[in-house]
Amino acid sequence: MINSEEFTAMHWLMDIVQNVDAGLLVLNREYEIEAWNGFMENHSGLMAEQVRGKNIFNVFPEIDKKWFLQKAEPVFILNNRAFTTWEQHTKLFHFKNYHPITGIVDYMYQNITISPIKSVRGVTDKISIIVYDVTTVAVNKLLLAEANQKLERLAQRDSLSGLNNRRHWETLIENEFLRCKRSKINASLLIIDIDDFKQINDNFGHSCGDSVIRDVSNQIRSCQRETDYSGRYGGEEFAIILPDTSVQQALNLAERLRKQIEEQSFMINGEQQSVTISLGLAEFNPEFKDHIEWINAADSAMYESKKQGKNKVTINKQQNS
Amino acid sequence: MSTSELSEDYRDCFQEITNVAMGQAADKLARFLDVFILLPVPNVNMLQPSELAMALSAVNHDESVSAVCQGFIGSGIAGEAMLIFNDSTFQEIADLMNADSDDSNQLELEILMDTANILIGTFLTGLAEQLEVRYSLGQPSVLGRHVNIEDLIKINEKRWKQTLAIEINYKIEGSNINCDLLILFTDDSLNILKQKADYLLE
Amino acid sequence: MSISILICDDSSFARKQVLKALPSDWQTNVFQATNGSEAVQMIPEKNIELLFLDLTMPIMDGYEVLDHLKKTDTNCFVIVISGDIQPDAVERVKKLGAIGFIKKPVNKEEIETLLVEFGLLVRQPL
Repeated sequence: MINSEEFTAMHWLMDIVQNVDAGLLVLNREYEIEAWNGFMENHSGLMAEQVRGKNIFNVFPEIDKKWFLQKAEPVFILNNRAFTTWEQHTKLFHFKNYHPITGIVDYMYQNITISPIKSVRGVTDKISIIVYDVTTVAVNKLLLAEANQKLERLAQRDSLSGLNNRRHWETLIENEFLRCKRSKINASLLIIDIDDFKQINDNFGHSCGDSVIRDVSNQIRSCQRETDYSGRYGGEEFAIILPDTSVQQALNLAERLRKQIEEQSFMINGEQQSVTISLGLAEFNPEFKDHIEWINAADSAMYESKKQGKNKVTINKQQNS
Repeated sequence: MSTSELSEDYRDCFQEITNVAMGQAADKLARFLDVFILLPVPNVNMLQPSELAMALSAVNHDESVSAVCQGFIGSGIAGEAMLIFNDSTFQEIADLMNADSDDSNQLELEILMDTANILIGTFLTGLAEQLEVRYSLGQPSVLGRHVNIEDLIKINEKRWKQTLAIEINYKIEGSNINCDLLILFTDDSLNILKQKADYLLE
Repeated sequence: MSISILICDDSSFARKQVLKALPSDWQTNVFQATNGSEAVQMIPEKNIELLFLDLTMPIMDGYEVLDHLKKTDTNCFVIVISGDIQPDAVERVKKLGAIGFIKKPVNKEEIETLLVEFGLLVRQPL
């Protein structure tokens, strides 16, 4: 027989459980709902009387039954608590979150705790489930990750050309060099320099020079294959890493690029002008000490193109088979 | 009946319900701060997504304006209450609340939250009583603090459907303190709200 | 003899509520006004003896109506029925001459008690 003090204490405890800012429900061994607090009522739109005695999977068909049983069965059998976070499984119940209008996610992200409840005979015949609304935490984390990704991309990109910037591109060529050395595969490096760029800047101004850079970059982007890495190496210098490509194959791409730019008329200062590029090709050589040697090889080939009258592709002499 | 228009009967009913809930909220705040609150006629309207975007944009573009949002859900209705403040009145509100703090940014945040809590909480409680519903309230949060308002509008403009909006302006007599309480109901709450109104209108 | 009463509130829903709360056996001529300005016009026009007045209305609010009635020394009982229940509101309204303040949503018993108190409604003892 409970005395009136205990009764009052139980009364306000029940009140707290009913109104606490987390979902609380109890399931029996058949996964039928035996308790359902205010949070669950308000978020599901179903009152306790409506769900009591019903099988939870019938009332909420959206629950991933297989996943949930995997979590809950061990609690019954092993008398052990189970936890799941939004990062493993975003939610158990499909509820609206508290920002249905100003929020940026459609539903409530949840952390769940499943605890065993022992009967008087010492057998776990019920489980309690606590549902925590962690939408704010989740959204913050997702936004942070997105922001970091954006930041990373910005740090890698050259803003004018839209290609990889020098710093990032050098990381790429270094990695490719090591990969080729390690796996004994082939790759080619193409270095590109805009002919007479200094004159364009001097005669027509820097904003014209900038638009030439943009146009050439666009051509490079359209010519390269998905697996190639292009970058802006210097003021008017560009480079493309072509993995798994022999120098002969690379030559086709290089020629195509050269021709495309030669044939394109650039609008400079309101007039159609022609722009050409000089290119140098160097295949990966296992004798190279490091990636710098490789770059130098392609670079000297490019200078050879300049010497030979520009608007040309030259393959590094030592590799001309 | 088309849901894009609110009939005069419904509008009038919601306005009157708002009137009472608003009076209750103002009464509590008035006693708490020992002031007199000037209550206007509340505005009840259906907002189209573009109008909602405009309202939020206004908060965004006026740098001296802050907004606190608090969500509510229960009994088939859900939505958000938004309290919109003019930052220049912070000091006055702080004085009224006898707030005391060294960090003025922290002070602003706390005042924002406390005032929002009182105004939103008491209004929503009053509303719940009138409509005979029960709901859970979320944590209040400052709009734009975590997500840029422009991004928020961009992401949501396609998502938003029409919203039932109740707008109340609270002014404290003898001061510059002036804030707007905007209650927004989700589109799917409308049917339940109309049912409740039907019951009261008969 | 019928008593002329005016219900002034911008909400037709609210006016209906007041109508429903009036004693059913009371002999009255009921008029309605949607704002204060209409009310001050109708009071002398229709010889209104009792006014049920809301406070928050457009164009001319309840306080302004009370003020006007006081200034023009109009002979009319006023019962304020409002959602604005701040302690100050009740005080102000009484100072301006209202005989009673009833909180919304209106309660039938409260109205009846007030009417009996001021002799506007006579209840025969059984």
